[in-house]
Amino acid sequence: MSATAPAARAGLRARAGVPFRAATRVRSVSLGTRMIVASSILAAIVAGVFAAFLVATLQLRHSTSRATHSKDVSLAALRLEGRVVELETALRGYVLTGEPRFLESIRASRKLLPASIAAVRRRASGTTAQERRARGLANEIRAYVDEYVAPLLKFAHTDPSVARSAVATLEGKRRTDDIRSRFQRFLSVDSERVANSVATANRTADAAIAFGAAGLAGMTLLVLVFGLFLARSIARPLRNAAEGANRLAAGDLSLRLAETGPGEVGELTASFNTMAASLEQGQAELKAQNQQLRESERVKGELVGIVSHEVRTPLASVLGFTSLLLQHDFDEESRRRYLGIIDSQARRLAELVEDFLDARRMEEGRIELRYESLNLSELLRSKVELFSGQSAAHEFAVDLPEEPLSVEADPRRLEQVLANLLSNAIKYSPEGGVVRVSAKAEGPSVSVYVSDDGIGISEKDRARVFTKFFRGDAASRGISGTGLGLVLSREIIEAHGGEMGFDSSPGMGSIFWFRLPARSAG
Amino acid sequence: MVRKQVVFVAAVAAASATAAVGISDVFASSDALPGPGIIRVTAARLSNVHIDAGRKGRSVGDEEISREQLFNRRITSKAIGHAELVCTATGGKSANCTGTYFLPKGKIVISGPRTFREIFEVAVVGGTGIYDNVRGTLTVTSLGGKPARFLLYFRLLV
Repeated sequence: MSATAPAARAGLRARAGVPFRAATRVRSVSLGTRMIVASSILAAIVAGVFAAFLVATLQLRHSTSRATHSKDVSLAALRLEGRVVELETALRGYVLTGEPRFLESIRASRKLLPASIAAVRRRASGTTAQERRARGLANEIRAYVDEYVAPLLKFAHTDPSVARSAVATLEGKRRTDDIRSRFQRFLSVDSERVANSVATANRTADAAIAFGAAGLAGMTLLVLVFGLFLARSIARPLRNAAEGANRLAAGDLSLRLAETGPGEVGELTASFNTMAASLEQGQAELKAQNQQLRESERVKGELVGIVSHEVRTPLASVLGFTSLLLQHDFDEESRRRYLGIIDSQARRLAELVEDFLDARRMEEGRIELRYESLNLSELLRSKVELFSGQSAAHEFAVDLPEEPLSVEADPRRLEQVLANLLSNAIKYSPEGGVVRVSAKAEGPSVSVYVSDDGIGISEKDRARVFTKFFRGDAASRGISGTGLGLVLSREIIEAHGGEMGFDSSPGMGSIFWFRLPARSAG
Repeated sequence: MVRKQVVFVAAVAAASATAAVGISDVFASSDALPGPGIIRVTAARLSNVHIDAGRKGRSVGDEEISREQLFNRRITSKAIGHAELVCTATGGKSANCTGTYFLPKGKIVISGPRTFREIFEVAVVGGTGIYDNVRGTLTVTSLGGKPARFLLYFRLLV
């Protein structure tokens, strides 16, 4: 694991015992959708900035075009004004001097005037007001030529003193002053239009620059935010997942990742957690199976030990006494005694085999019960009577009620249980003592208690008392047995719908009990 | 002579009626002029009578009485009014003229000296109708021709 990722380590959470939540995780907006949204916002900003620049460029181009046009108009107007001035100067010269060269100049100017007027009117076309001004200017010039210049030339021919009169001069001045003021108005209006256009273009350009700058700043910010988002939402969870995978590989199967991050990243961490949970469960199952195998191996070992011990002793007795009987002739009494021993040991072997078969049947669930109505008190008395003759060192105390303890049970299997409990009470109190047998009705059940004053069961062995082939330190004490009796007894009682338990104090003795459902009175 | 005068008066009346709209592009059709302005019309002489009041032949005291038709060709080819002028010779080529210009929406009265017939300037001393209390100048430029034509350039102040 990287040593530079303490913060990332916070994203790894060992959540052993916490229910897996992948299925209930609310899906967040997918990474793809987020990227599309972010790209769309960026594209919109870029488009907005470009649109602003486009508008500004168009405005500037329009303004430039208008300025160029205005320059053309101004040039044409100034050219026309020059022609008018030329005409006026020549007229004045001719009126004052009468020299023909001025007349030539007047003719030339008059010839050129229509083209100059047309040029101004052509260039002024576009706006109605300016067209009107150009038309007015043209009319004023034409009126000047037709109504002043032409008559004055005539006067100059016929009577120069008239042409030179103050009235004529003043009228000429007034006329040209009017024309000049019209020129001035015409040019100032056009200049003003150009100035307005340039100002508008400049304002648009300024706004576009501001908008562009803001857009660029916004884009930069957005890219940074998106980069941070990618780093936080993708890179970090992925790094956590990688570290988690390493820890998983190292055996930390309880590890779970925090299911954060957008869409696909969240799904990745959820899948990781699913995988970790699956591995953990698999490992637990393997451990359980391993435990079972170990137990099975242990049981097999114990079985071999028990069989070898429990079978060998009676078998040796059977073989020994059989061989003795075959080789020697004994009197009738001895012969019968030896045959009795052989019979007893053979039965012992048969019981062992039957116990093994019962254990097998229990495991396979093949145990069959043949229910009968019976009085448990009678069964207990007969069994106690049977066992009381087997040990001189033990005294049997029976405490049974007067009334019958009726149960519905398989008598043969119940006898097997009682025989096991009584046999254990005798075997596990080798010093002898009192074996107490009692039974009573307790509510809907009938309870049976068998106690002894024997060696008892140590604390550590209590949990395994009902484990197959478990015998504690009985073997070392020389107590015979297979370790199957109590297992079979509890299985039989539970198969009847009852329960079985015990209480014990080491060195003080034990008390085993079982309860069976009482048979209903009806 | 009488027949000729009747025809003239009828023509002036008709022209005044039909050209009433024509003058309105110069001044708005209101009861008074809205501000300073220029009226540009042409005049065609209808009659010019010389009365030899002084010594025989052209001399001081002679009178010249003229009638003219007024036109604004840019609006209509018909006459829009007429003028009645009286000039009294004051010596040399000079004369002192008084006259009235009858326009569609009122009359303009002029008065002043005339040094040269070809081009002269007189004062606008008043008027009636929309030209009530008007002031300014009238520049008259002879355009020649038969009948004689004149350019009348009224520069009016209110």
